[in-house]
Amino acid sequence: MNIKVVALEFAYPKFSLRVGGLAFESAKVTAIVGPNGAGKTTFLKCIGAVLPVAKGSLFIDGKDIASLKSYERARLIGYVPQEHDTTFNYSVSDFVLMGRAAYISPFALPSHEDAKAASEALDFVGLSGFADRAISELSSGERRLVLIARALAQRSEILLMDEPTTFLDPKHETEVLELVRKLAVEMRKTILVTLHSLEMAVQYSDQMVFMKKGEVVAYGKSAEIFEDSLLEHVYDMKIKVIEWEGRKIVLR
Amino acid sequence: MSGKNHSRAKGLALFFLVLPFFLFFVSLSVGTYEISPRGLLRTALSIVSPASGQDLPAAYRDILVRIRLPRVLLAMAVGAALSVSGASLQALFKNPLVNEYILGISSGAAFGAALSLVFLGRAFPPQVAGFVFAVVAVGAVLLISGKAESHFISLLLTGIIVTAFFSALLSLVEFFASPYVLQALFFWLMGSLSLASWRDLYISLPLVAIGLAVLYLLRWRLNVLSMSDEEARSLGVNVRREKIVVIASTTLITAAATSIVGIIGWLGFIVPHLVRMMFGADNRRVVPLSAAVGASLMLIADDIIRRVSSFEIPVGIFTSLVGIPIFLFLLKKTRKVWL
Repeated sequence: MNIKVVALEFAYPKFSLRVGGLAFESAKVTAIVGPNGAGKTTFLKCIGAVLPVAKGSLFIDGKDIASLKSYERARLIGYVPQEHDTTFNYSVSDFVLMGRAAYISPFALPSHEDAKAASEALDFVGLSGFADRAISELSSGERRLVLIARALAQRSEILLMDEPTTFLDPKHETEVLELVRKLAVEMRKTILVTLHSLEMAVQYSDQMVFMKKGEVVAYGKSAEIFEDSLLEHVYDMKIKVIEWEGRKIVLR
Repeated sequence: MSGKNHSRAKGLALFFLVLPFFLFFVSLSVGTYEISPRGLLRTALSIVSPASGQDLPAAYRDILVRIRLPRVLLAMAVGAALSVSGASLQALFKNPLVNEYILGISSGAAFGAALSLVFLGRAFPPQVAGFVFAVVAVGAVLLISGKAESHFISLLLTGIIVTAFFSALLSLVEFFASPYVLQALFFWLMGSLSLASWRDLYISLPLVAIGLAVLYLLRWRLNVLSMSDEEARSLGVNVRREKIVVIASTTLITAAATSIVGIIGWLGFIVPHLVRMMFGADNRRVVPLSAAVGASLMLIADDIIRRVSSFEIPVGIFTSLVGIPIFLFLLKKTRKVWL
């Protein structure tokens, strides 16, 4: 599924987002990077319609996102938040099952098919043995995977992930990003992911969007646009990119 | 959870779901006038077929039908209503400390019902004004706390202020009430089942049934609504619309209950916690089991009151006095996280 951002605007009291002229395709990972407060999360939330967007600003396969009903949109776009506040200690399987909400009438219960979709999603992220565990018993890495599994249970072709690797150790960070690639390649999902690690972003993405102060500074194929001058402009600091065994390493 | 634990939990759930029906029959035989279980059964049969049980004292039928049955049904309805209301609001506001009292629903309903009783008399159903002012109270709390409704401190402070405002209005109503009405009002405000009548039940029971049915049907959705608003929206929920449905239903059942029995403290807060401690957080279990446990606890509380003392302590005082220590005991004993 293709996402087309025509002219997206969203304003908080002290911040405004103005993004336009972007397109994202199936089976591709797009990394959205930029300094803190650049508007990465706000941008993702607008695409996911978690925040309201005006008509005519965002299109999915030609359909205006603002004209879709909540459940119609959720069937197209899955959103993985950065964190989940566990007020209530649901079991992992009950939690992942919530990803099926867009397919279930408000007054109905999940069916066997819904339970199957949730269980398959849990399998895909490698947590099939965790179904009966309580969310509070999981490590932060496992909790991230459960959040991803819930979005997978949603069976949407577009997946938005907000900093899925924050607070993860290098091993779990790699595992999550390998999973992101697998979702794009094997399930042909259109993936947008915000990341802080520039090296990981360039390594695991097909294209990158650089943001600063609520606007897009650069956008293009990761290997082509990832250069010292751009990074220095975006982050306002001295940055050097070197190549080592085919990978880009950032020195600062 | 292992298979053994699963079946134990299922057995326990079944026990709690059947318990109110068992207690219903026990409660009918409890009271100052002794009726044996056999006498109870024969009286019930004589209602169905008037030819039988002609040797039974005439008082049996009167006591059973006019006094005990409405009281027992009311206790069950109120217990179920307040407990389900508490469970639903806690899920909706993503906070285990929220209940109908904190949101101002109880004090709004109490003021409305008192206003109706004092100025319109017993002939006019107090549920109407109870519901109207409960809506006004919860509406005020949500509007004033604004978009920060999931921000608990703001919600709590607004709830306290609105509750204080309606309590002041209630005092004003009491001030204008005649001494005779004031006495009844005072007793009613403490939470009492002793004034239960069919007339009240004819109105409140259907209202409670409708509200409970809606919340029962929405029980899985409450899981999704207990996520942050942004998460729920991204999962495909029309958060605003579904919140309104849940708040309207909880307000309806709380107002229907509070209008005829007064404010019953702590039940709506404690019961959902007890259920979660035993059965986990999934609202598919929490909602029906809260109804069953709430109804059972109200019946037990009312039975004890009727059995133990010759004078009746208002059940609202009793639930608070007994409920809080039980809750503290369980809180200390249950070391695992149950929220």
